[in-house]
Amino acid sequence: MDINSRPVVVKRMPERLNSRTAREFLRDVRPFLAADRPQLVFDLSLVAQIDAAGVEMLLRCMSEAHKRDGDVKLASLSDQAAVVLELTRTERLFEIYETSTEAARSFSGFLPNAMRQQLLHNKRSATQPTAA
Amino acid sequence: MDIRGLLLANSENMEEKGQAEAPLATLDVAGKSTLQRMAERLQQYGISSVSAVVETAAPSGVRNFGLPSDVTCLAAAPDRFWRIAESVFNDMAQSGAELVILVRLGAYAEADFEKLVQFHLDRKERVTQMASDEQKLEIFCISASRRNDAASLFRTQLAHCRSECPLFQHEGYLNRLASPRHLRQFAIDILTRQAQTCPAGKEIRPGVWTAPGAMIEKGARILAPAFIGSMARVRSGAVITRCSSVERHAEVDCGTVIENSTVLPFSYVGAGLDLAHSVAGMGRIVNLHRDVTVTIVDPKLVASVSVASGRRLMTSAAEIVTYLPRLAFHGMFASAKSGQPDLQATLRQTPPALGTAAGFETSACDTEASHKFPNMVVARRYGHQ
Repeated sequence: MDINSRPVVVKRMPERLNSRTAREFLRDVRPFLAADRPQLVFDLSLVAQIDAAGVEMLLRCMSEAHKRDGDVKLASLSDQAAVVLELTRTERLFEIYETSTEAARSFSGFLPNAMRQQLLHNKRSATQPTAA
Repeated sequence: MDIRGLLLANSENMEEKGQAEAPLATLDVAGKSTLQRMAERLQQYGISSVSAVVETAAPSGVRNFGLPSDVTCLAAAPDRFWRIAESVFNDMAQSGAELVILVRLGAYAEADFEKLVQFHLDRKERVTQMASDEQKLEIFCISASRRNDAASLFRTQLAHCRSECPLFQHEGYLNRLASPRHLRQFAIDILTRQAQTCPAGKEIRPGVWTAPGAMIEKGARILAPAFIGSMARVRSGAVITRCSSVERHAEVDCGTVIENSTVLPFSYVGAGLDLAHSVAGMGRIVNLHRDVTVTIVDPKLVASVSVASGRRLMTSAAEIVTYLPRLAFHGMFASAKSGQPDLQATLRQTPPALGTAAGFETSACDTEASHKFPNMVVARRYGHQ
């Protein structure tokens, strides 16, 4: 069983997230959302302005991902983005991480124990030198 | 004895310049601006002749700023502010004033002006300054005949006086009012009666004040302590709680929760939002927890209501006129709804301000308990409820 086959896609969101940029962004990420069990991380560190259309787009992405048994996580929220998400009561719907790396790692954090042990075993066997 | 009051309000003291177009002293807090409150305080101490100079970006002239009719108020452009203040002082001296109480807002201090004047007269001083502990306040008692001392004060923007100023210790309530955080704290102090000054309205329930013309729709909940300003509108399903203050002509739309926040005058907060620990208005939200100011461009979230009454009337009229056609249009083209609304589904909805995403089901409500007990709902509780 190959447990590393599903990639985590990290996308940086634009500085201004209005209806036009949200549409463009959605068009960009749609192929990733259409995959089986999509795993996406949106980096919001650059976001300086976000409106209702931007928040709506985030919810739509999440909804699409959930339909395919995947998830969308947010990372590095700028203060502006955090305030708007809090205002619209949507911050509680997403898993939010300090950095994109942490968010990406979190996707493997919920693996069943058996899978995690197998992953560790695979790593160990890869690092150990083979006997001559 | 002829004692007069001179109030100065400009924005040089503000920590975050550009935070608001007007000086913080002219913004309403629980129904009245600091400027109004200080003018009334001076009048309470028997200082009947009070003048105010307020900095505005608009051309100079006489404007009211909500002050009592017997208070002379002058609007001054930023570059002419101190010159106008000095000339008002000189006019007072010429017209027979013996003492002038000069207050720059700035800080709001519930000063005992009687003791200040007595201290000044006992010591036969030219200028006496008020201080709280080590911090000097911009409240002075000036002998009107000492024009040179006054001129030196005005020309250094109250930083220095040519003669030595003894300090009179202030012992009452003090708020620096230098930032939105202080503005918020001032509202809390007024509503919890930490300050002597009161909310400008009628106490309809213990701890709930409403000003004349405030409209609270059926289904809205106002939990004490709270203040609703004149002509402010709190729509159905909204919750105002934890020392929140909705100032005059502000509007809080359906289902929005205002918690420990101030909604500034002529501001609109959209439907289904959650405004907490903030000062909102003028298209901005100052979040005090995060210590950040965010400009909101989306009028569905936070917007400004027109200050002009004619324009507001036109907007309301247009809303009324288009109400029935909108309903008819909605009835003809909207998809048919199921007969009985599901409470769980309703609770899972995101804010209506988000448009089509409003139907998105939140995972936050999909708790284990809600699956086990489908008829149980978990609602957020506010205050004593």
